[in-house]
Amino acid sequence: MSTVSTLAESTVAQAVLSVRDLRISDQANGREIVHGVSFDLAPGRTVGIVGESGSGKTLTCRAALGILPVHFEVTGGAIELDGRDITGLAPAEWTAQRGSTISAVFQDPASYLNPSLRVGAQVAEVIRVKKRAGRRAARRQTIELLRAVHLRDPELVYGQYAYELSGGMLQRVLIAAAIAAGPRVLIADEATTALDVTVQAEILDLLADLRDRTGLALVLVSHDLAVVAQLCDEVLVLRQGEVVEQGPTREVLHHPRHEYTRLLIAEHEQYGLDRFLAPEEDV
Amino acid sequence: MVRRVLALPSGRIAVAVLAVIALLAVFGPWLAPQDPLATSGNTLGAASGSHWLGTDYLGRDVLSRLLDGSRVSVLGSLEVALTALVVGVIPGILSVYLGRAFEWITLRLTDTLVALPFLLFAVAVVALLGNGITQAMLVTGVLVSPLFYRVSRAATLAVARSPYVEAALISGASLGWVVRRHVWVKVLPPIAVALAQTVGVGFVIVSSLTFLGIGVQPPAPTWGGLLASDLGYLSQRPWAPLTPALLIVVTVWACNLLADAIRDVSGEAGRALLNSRKARANQIDEAGPAPAGGAS
Amino acid sequence: MSADAIPCTRGGGMSTDAVLTLEGLSVHYGARRRRRRVLHDVNLSIAPGETVGVIGETGSGKSTLARTVLGLVRASGGSIVVDGEEVAGYGPRQWRALRRRGVVQYVFQDPLRSLDPDLTVADSLAEPLLVQGVPRAEAATRVRAFLDRVRLTEDLLDRLPGELSGGQRQRVAVARALVTEPRLVILDEPVSALDSANRVQVLQILKELRDDGVALVFISHDLGSVAGVADRIAVLYRGELVETGAARDVIAAPQHPYTRLLVRSAPTLHSAPADRAERDALRALLHA
Repeated sequence: MSTVSTLAESTVAQAVLSVRDLRISDQANGREIVHGVSFDLAPGRTVGIVGESGSGKTLTCRAALGILPVHFEVTGGAIELDGRDITGLAPAEWTAQRGSTISAVFQDPASYLNPSLRVGAQVAEVIRVKKRAGRRAARRQTIELLRAVHLRDPELVYGQYAYELSGGMLQRVLIAAAIAAGPRVLIADEATTALDVTVQAEILDLLADLRDRTGLALVLVSHDLAVVAQLCDEVLVLRQGEVVEQGPTREVLHHPRHEYTRLLIAEHEQYGLDRFLAPEEDV
Repeated sequence: MVRRVLALPSGRIAVAVLAVIALLAVFGPWLAPQDPLATSGNTLGAASGSHWLGTDYLGRDVLSRLLDGSRVSVLGSLEVALTALVVGVIPGILSVYLGRAFEWITLRLTDTLVALPFLLFAVAVVALLGNGITQAMLVTGVLVSPLFYRVSRAATLAVARSPYVEAALISGASLGWVVRRHVWVKVLPPIAVALAQTVGVGFVIVSSLTFLGIGVQPPAPTWGGLLASDLGYLSQRPWAPLTPALLIVVTVWACNLLADAIRDVSGEAGRALLNSRKARANQIDEAGPAPAGGAS
Repeated sequence: MSADAIPCTRGGGMSTDAVLTLEGLSVHYGARRRRRRVLHDVNLSIAPGETVGVIGETGSGKSTLARTVLGLVRASGGSIVVDGEEVAGYGPRQWRALRRRGVVQYVFQDPLRSLDPDLTVADSLAEPLLVQGVPRAEAATRVRAFLDRVRLTEDLLDRLPGELSGGQRQRVAVARALVTEPRLVILDEPVSALDSANRVQVLQILKELRDDGVALVFISHDLGSVAGVADRIAVLYRGELVETGAARDVIAAPQHPYTRLLVRSAPTLHSAPADRAERDALRALLHA
């Protein structure tokens, strides 16, 4: 269509989400909180963002979803979704983008569901709005989705309320809702933090499975380097709004350059399972 | 907590008003310029040098009667509030700790008390036990005690299940220790709010009863009684009911204002509020010496 | 590398000097038809200075286990021996007497809610001593002398919990459990709410504690968070201890399918794609 810089286009031809030197500031006091985050994400690939609370990882995700909290604004850089800069979108355009191109799941799934409505109806609502499907078709597709996120007995779950489901099941329902409109990018912001480890592994496996089957691009955000390491091709380590380390997962794990990354790795090697499970392959 | 309440302007106003009323109640009879019961030929007189608020239908000095009558109203409302406090708070806190049977019985008792209309009941008690404000107020106090029972029980329940109370129990603390050390501080602010409210309610009840002529023998002056008798002579002295009515309204308003002030400064929210005020005050102090008109 | 056969259960014979011995412990909630079994036939013994990790998922009964040992929940069967005393049939008075000796202490999961918001750090820390009847002045000096061990500074003593960071709060909570110099401390997910730096710091404090001879029971859903400090690991699954053994053995050669799933599920830096298939197989096995 347009002939804007063919050179740049060729290098990121496949990137479905690219973030360029993203800067976010708190307009209340004029302080910059995120100091330049950049990454490219191709379909079927996963990028991980690691950092403690207050490192700016959640703000970065929220900027990509167009849901920055009040006072906060993107003050520099660009976020391109499917080759289109989305930082300056109007609210109505954002509504069209969210769900159908980019979607997200967060920590504490219970707070994202209405306790007085059946969970199936809430997923079906997304399909009815986003895909303009009829009542019957929405129900059928919802049950398919619930099956796709590995919920046993999706018909039963469809008619249940949020309080009847465990944390892991709720997160599956929310993943189903998030992928209902067939987005190309899914952001999982601390989506497994509050769950038991075995359930966390189930959810991570599910995300990997969805990625491999449908070519979904994943952004995985966590405070735990090991969680991110399991699934991601590329890792960004964020500290106080600054990217202190960025590179292929293997590279970051084996040759960490920044002191903070070394601390994150040391935590696992000294106190985690890695103490007893020596890597069998390369050292 | 007293200092925190006084840090708020509304708290200062409420305390000042209530202090004046309390002083009137204590020293009113001595302050009264004339005998409140002495009649004279000057009936329904206008305000003058010797009668600041005029005279009533029997020629008695209105100001003296107001000052003398304040004691009955104040004592009556305090009696309601304190009775309700004692009768409500103790079982309220204990209901959380003393087992299922005690809990069930006290809960049913409060349900019953709530169902009784207290003004009618007070009238009935006076009819049964004879004309006396004390009995009537005691009964009213018992009837409004469910408010205290519920407030203290709810606050205690919230604390009793908290990990820090369990931590104290695990360290070997007794029930008494837990109540003194952890429960009391959390329960006190809501009780103080309820107390201030109840004093206001008590005031309204005393005034209503005396307005109806119940509880006090006729020649003795009360605010409610003054209001009632003044209403009978509206055509001669249309402004007369204003003073007793205003006194009643201002006192009740001050009680409610105090209740609001206590609620505002207690708990987490209260601490945050005061901290922000302190911070702002500090900022102003620091900015004080700066030249005026400086760009900020 | 390790050639010896690994026994599934170990260390029942040291019960004479153990700080805690559970034999055939079972706990039920509810009465009559609503009666649910929460713990069944739990056998566990903890030697002085030993650190045992109790691992289990939500609803496995791990918190109930802790609460039963502390006397907050009544056992419906079996025996609990704390510091040489059989406590299973104790009434409130006997429990209070035992607790006042400060032998067993507990650290809660949520550091914010486990400290009274209206008490200063100094008051919270002094409480267990004051309950024992230690005079106020002596309690204050003992609290001060203790701060170094938990990396807290004296200027924090006058603060309220709301004015502390998450890591500081958890260290205060740990300190409160330690001022009575207990022989056994039970910790419920003590590091789950903390970020990396604070997590390492708290784990370091616990390690030093173990070196001082304090026995620790470390409750968590995550094998990974106890691997660094536990001598032994006990795995609780649906109210039963399905595996007990030395930490290294349990992690390197898990026997029970649930333990194997735990090991394969814990996030590690060196996970292989093959783990995914193994996890699927184990889940199928457990749900069958």
